[in-house]
Amino acid sequence: MVRYGLVIDLAKCIGCRSCVAACKVENMVQPGNYWNFVLEYEQGKYPSVRRIFVPMNCQHCENPPCVKACPAKAISKNEYGVVLIDYNKCKGYRYCIAACPYGVIHFIDKEKTLYPNGEKTPYEALPAEARHPLHRKKPGIAEKCTLCWHRIEKALKEGKKPGSDYDSSPACVPVCPAGARYFGDLDDPNSEVSKLIASRRAIQLKKEYGTRPQVYYLV
Amino acid sequence: MKLSRRDFLKKSSLIAGMAALGSQVVSLGSVAAEASEAQGRVKQIAATVSEDVLIPSTDIMCVNFCGIRVRRVNGVIRAIYGNPASPYNVGHLCPKGQSGIFDVYNPYRIKAPLKRTNPDKSPDADPKWKEISWEEAFEEAAKMIKEAMDYDPRSITFQWGHGKYLVQDKYLKAFINEAIGSPNNVHRTTVCEAARHVADELTWGGHGFLPDLEYTEYYLNMGANFTEAEQWARWLDRTCMKRVVEDGMKLVVVEPRLSNLAAKATEWIPIKPGSDVVFLLAMARELIAQGYVDEEFLKEYTDAVYLVGEDGKFLRDENGNPLVWDSKAKKAVPYDEAEEILLDGKVTVDGKEYRTSFRVFKDYLFQNVDLSEAEEITGVPAETIMRIAKEFGEHARIGSTIEIDGKKLRYRPVVIHTFRGMSAKEYGTQNWRAALIVQMLVGNFDAVGGLRLHKANPDYKNMKPSKCEYPPSRVDLAGSVFYPHATHNVAEQPHLTYLEPEKYGLPYKPKLQIVYATNRLFSTSEVEKQIEGLKKVKQIAIDIVLSEQAQMSDLVLPNKSYLECWHFSPTRWTPGTGHSAIRQPIVNAYNLPHQDFDILMILADKAGILDKYIEGMHKKWGFKNGEFNVLKSKYEELKAKNGGSLAGKKDAEELSKLSVKIVWEKKTGKPFDYALKHGLVAKTVDVEHRYLKDAEKFHGKGKPKMHFYAEQLVHTKDKVLEIMNKQDNVRKVFEEWYEASGEELKKLIEIKLSPFPRKEHALPTPHRKAKDYPLYLITYKRMYRNQANPDALNPVLNEVAHDSSSNYMLINPAKAKELGIKDGDEVWIESRVGKVKARAKLSEGIRPDTVAVSYHYGRFAKAFPSYAKQGTHINRVLELHPCLISGHNSFLDTKVKVYRA
Repeated sequence: MVRYGLVIDLAKCIGCRSCVAACKVENMVQPGNYWNFVLEYEQGKYPSVRRIFVPMNCQHCENPPCVKACPAKAISKNEYGVVLIDYNKCKGYRYCIAACPYGVIHFIDKEKTLYPNGEKTPYEALPAEARHPLHRKKPGIAEKCTLCWHRIEKALKEGKKPGSDYDSSPACVPVCPAGARYFGDLDDPNSEVSKLIASRRAIQLKKEYGTRPQVYYLV
Repeated sequence: MKLSRRDFLKKSSLIAGMAALGSQVVSLGSVAAEASEAQGRVKQIAATVSEDVLIPSTDIMCVNFCGIRVRRVNGVIRAIYGNPASPYNVGHLCPKGQSGIFDVYNPYRIKAPLKRTNPDKSPDADPKWKEISWEEAFEEAAKMIKEAMDYDPRSITFQWGHGKYLVQDKYLKAFINEAIGSPNNVHRTTVCEAARHVADELTWGGHGFLPDLEYTEYYLNMGANFTEAEQWARWLDRTCMKRVVEDGMKLVVVEPRLSNLAAKATEWIPIKPGSDVVFLLAMARELIAQGYVDEEFLKEYTDAVYLVGEDGKFLRDENGNPLVWDSKAKKAVPYDEAEEILLDGKVTVDGKEYRTSFRVFKDYLFQNVDLSEAEEITGVPAETIMRIAKEFGEHARIGSTIEIDGKKLRYRPVVIHTFRGMSAKEYGTQNWRAALIVQMLVGNFDAVGGLRLHKANPDYKNMKPSKCEYPPSRVDLAGSVFYPHATHNVAEQPHLTYLEPEKYGLPYKPKLQIVYATNRLFSTSEVEKQIEGLKKVKQIAIDIVLSEQAQMSDLVLPNKSYLECWHFSPTRWTPGTGHSAIRQPIVNAYNLPHQDFDILMILADKAGILDKYIEGMHKKWGFKNGEFNVLKSKYEELKAKNGGSLAGKKDAEELSKLSVKIVWEKKTGKPFDYALKHGLVAKTVDVEHRYLKDAEKFHGKGKPKMHFYAEQLVHTKDKVLEIMNKQDNVRKVFEEWYEASGEELKKLIEIKLSPFPRKEHALPTPHRKAKDYPLYLITYKRMYRNQANPDALNPVLNEVAHDSSSNYMLINPAKAKELGIKDGDEVWIESRVGKVKARAKLSEGIRPDTVAVSYHYGRFAKAFPSYAKQGTHINRVLELHPCLISGHNSFLDTKVKVYRA
């Protein structure tokens, strides 16, 4: 089996939001929505204080609550472990948003332009035919991180190992200035992600919900 | 009147961003509109995937110049990725670099040449722009240049900031210095790290070091913050985080605010603003007291062994050679003749007492720098300072060597780094000098894991006393009695000089300013005076949006954006690599005919100075074989082809492309096709070049010595005082800057130009004088803006973080409670020079006696929409007391009071 996932090194994360920008641009994410965002908080009292950054995106759970919650059966987990929303099936019920314990699914209520003048930039005006189906979004549907499935899919089609180079990795991974993000096959004990999970203290968020996330955080 | 959709698009897209429209949002044009090749319009996009390519280029959303690959789909920029082939950023890219698409597709861009019709240049006045043709624009600009040149070429100033990193300042300097014949080229480094550079130049004759982090074990970071925004960030952040997390490097961050770097540190030491110098002096005292001194380094590389007299000057022989004490011969001899050189001692020569400069410094420390006083001044417990000094000394492994690639090298894996934090102060130069001295004590210059020098030059002018020019020849007063060692221009000064040229004794009247991709009005302090000064001269701006600075223009020439231009780009080296790179056009979003390079060529031609310009290019690039002459013939050829003028003609692009080809081929020896295909060519640096090329210029007999003791400042001080005593206006300027007169002023100038740092350097003017203002105010950078460029308009940067579209005032909760301020409250921040409103954000990550505001928000350009103007323009309340040595703007010295609005 192949089960793709992410490992995020919180000790290295500098809170720069490069992953957020990469995701926004690559995935043509609706203004105001975030497939990827960074939680930031302080811990302690002056002068013994730390600032913590936790990048958040779909955890691509092994047991994803969103899949079960969707009345339209629009969400599925594919054979590579990636949880995807089918925009053609999504009816905008938003049960997935309520069911997700991580707050990483967003609803597109209406069409919004990047500039508040209502005019699309040429980037936004790229027609559906010139976009990957996962970037053909429309009002009334939910959207979330696809682990850049379009890149994984392209790599697989080209016979490349996903994650083996820049362009076959999720967009958020190779841009990270601190080198804090890793992508790979969690089922392969020799993958970098598996080795990191084995050698460092790695945690999954909200494990108690039984979601079994495929995103691990090194602390 | 009813406008058809086509008319509307045509009108609105052409004049978008104009001040006349205020914050009204205007059309970018839409893909549904019919295809058009007209300037200012966007092209139609194909409805199928006709193209999906990656084009290599170089980023310039900030000063890191990362290698990028721009993905273009159907003629549209779809994404910007890092270029993994770049040895500098290895594919990494920050949010700014990735969102550069929207610097290009930005409806607020200037899309046609604009002429001002309203002479009232008040910031709130409508400039009443009139669109004019390129031909008219070039004729008008050339006329302005010729008129000013007829009066006096020096009356013209050319200011740039980002412009240096777009087209490269060699062309810009060729234009102003050689073609026009004015000395007034002004770059922006005094808003960044100029004082650091000057301190380096006073010490080792070069600037632009890097910490040798790949080998460092103990890294003391004092006011650099590459995790948010800084030069060299894309190498520093990945290297630093790898070393800390994977290799256990100790990272100690000393700064008043918990920056994102401090958040990742082994230890954060919140120090009182301004007092770094005392922390370092106390460290130096401890290092000496505990015996952590690399005596061999000090004796073999530095002037710590030179004998200093009561007057603070070196004892010299009749040939002017400084003398050292030969303990064997028991006499003072030139360095090269000494057998046993004394480092720490007091001797008598011809009946007079002399001390080695090391001893002078040591005596100062042991007589004046007391650890409990240091605790009081810095707010850092004495035991912490002692511990850090001990850790630093231990980790320095003085005397050790390491073998790399068969070479035995000095190994001192400790380093101190700074950027704006220690530079942007009235005593910026002296602050960083203190850090250099601490590092010389342990001998880490060009040692493995230490401070990697860059282009050390023992003959550089700052290694010698300044000529202290008077009257000043430049409008920024650099190199004059006012800023005697300012070798990086003085960005905040030109507008102030325009306001009162006679005050500084300027022997001519400034008439015209050309500005290219810079925004002094927003990024320096004394904003109101800057505006008044600018009203005194005419201005031509070359830019992509109507910024605060461009808004003050008489004439505006729209530039292509960085993804539409040809440039031979500057690049950033790392200790182990270097590379050359180009920028190549990906799109031309608004069908603009011109970019910086061809604008300057056409302008030079119209002003009758093209030959001199091309001659100047050869001089500034150091090309000796007429390499640029082909530009002239190409220019004539294209001109003839286009009916006698290239104004507004797209063929002009060929000139820009040709200029890049010339430089690329000359610099890399590779064919231009290679540049087009790969964007860059990289090289690795061998051990010899990494460690044995710079500090070694000072090593041993027969070589000049680094300046542990900056004796040149003693001579500079004599000249400054001499001129000040003769020239009333000079004295008045100093009185105004430093709020002192008579003996107090004289004493202050002696302190400012002291040959080594002193504890008084922790007391900038506001700390001495603003008694009723209890809080320190510091300013800082954030990831989501670069200085004062169009980032404020960028929709991705504005939403990339929950708080990226605006700024706030950071205040410690304990202090906030005392002042009755709650999180999110609106407050006034008031200094002696003004007050601004800000939103309070409570944070445990700041000293209770300090508030902090990032400095790139609160834009006030009339053409910007309200969403881009959010936040506080903190520079408005900053007091200006420039660093006398370097001209650096004192961004970090102001004291304020804060109260609820």
